[in-house]
Amino acid sequence: MTVKTVLLVDDSRVARMMARASIVKAFPSWLVMEAASGEEALTLATSCQPDFVLMDVNMPGMGGVATARQLRQTFPSAVITLLTANIQDSIRQEAEEIGIGFLTKPFREELLLQFLRSGSGVS
Amino acid sequence: MSDLIGELERDAVTELLNVAIGLAASSLSQLVRDEVRLTVPRIEFLASAAAAALLDKATGRAESVAVRQNFRSAFSGDILLVFPERSSLDLVRSMMGDDIPLDTLTELEQEALLEVGNIILNACLGSLANQLGIGIESSLPSYVRGRGARILGSGSVGTASELIMFLQVDFAVTAKNVQGYLAFVMDIVSAGQFTKAITAYLDRLMER
Repeated sequence: MTVKTVLLVDDSRVARMMARASIVKAFPSWLVMEAASGEEALTLATSCQPDFVLMDVNMPGMGGVATARQLRQTFPSAVITLLTANIQDSIRQEAEEIGIGFLTKPFREELLLQFLRSGSGVS
Repeated sequence: MSDLIGELERDAVTELLNVAIGLAASSLSQLVRDEVRLTVPRIEFLASAAAAALLDKATGRAESVAVRQNFRSAFSGDILLVFPERSSLDLVRSMMGDDIPLDTLTELEQEALLEVGNIILNACLGSLANQLGIGIESSLPSYVRGRGARILGSGSVGTASELIMFLQVDFAVTAKNVQGYLAFVMDIVSAGQFTKAITAYLDRLMER
């Protein structure tokens, strides 16, 4: 199996733990990197060159939408989705506009894995 | 106090919150993998101190833990998820699984509750925003521990004697011995703006 790199961006350690557990169970050989803020994600992405990015929205600092927008430009081949409890239509529309997926928390494991297999992040 | 909001608006608020809190309960149900039971939302206009007494009554006057978010739109206030302290570890265990050692669970308790609050409070606010056709901004969740007065007093709304709009729903995950309360707190000015948004929503419904 091809080794992929997933970048988890969430200010909640618990949220990162839960997502990591599901990813590692399904793809034991994949590399899972973690960032606790948008700023940290931008720095980390430069070194780890992620194939997939799971991005929380409400975080201290620059926030998930702005970070995703920047990552979309810098890493056009990365498959990016928001993974957020903020279910407002306006956030979903922003995700569409940026050209990234939209997954809601709490995530359904089958949808998360579907995203990682197919690169589609709509729930 | 019933003249502060008309019967039709009160009914609309109850229905909007039923949908919003239903979605929040569905999120909680996914997290704890069990059924969540809800009461019908109660809307009351009362002094902050009286609201604190209501919270204390609901928690058996025990210490509680709460996750609070401040929200802003045409109206603003606080939304709170409150658990009796004795329920909180059971909730975290339900969410993280039984195979995590107790000391790790205890270490993660506060962060896990913040994430539960983040998911549930945003589900509720997001549903409300989508139904009303407005945007609602919210702060990051914060964690508070204490009795009712401390939990309500930590927020952005009102002094002990100021009149507030207090919306409360009780929920329970019976099989997991977890219960809690979800509350919206708005001052009277915001409650007036909130009622206007409800009236506009009702007008749109009538035009259909």
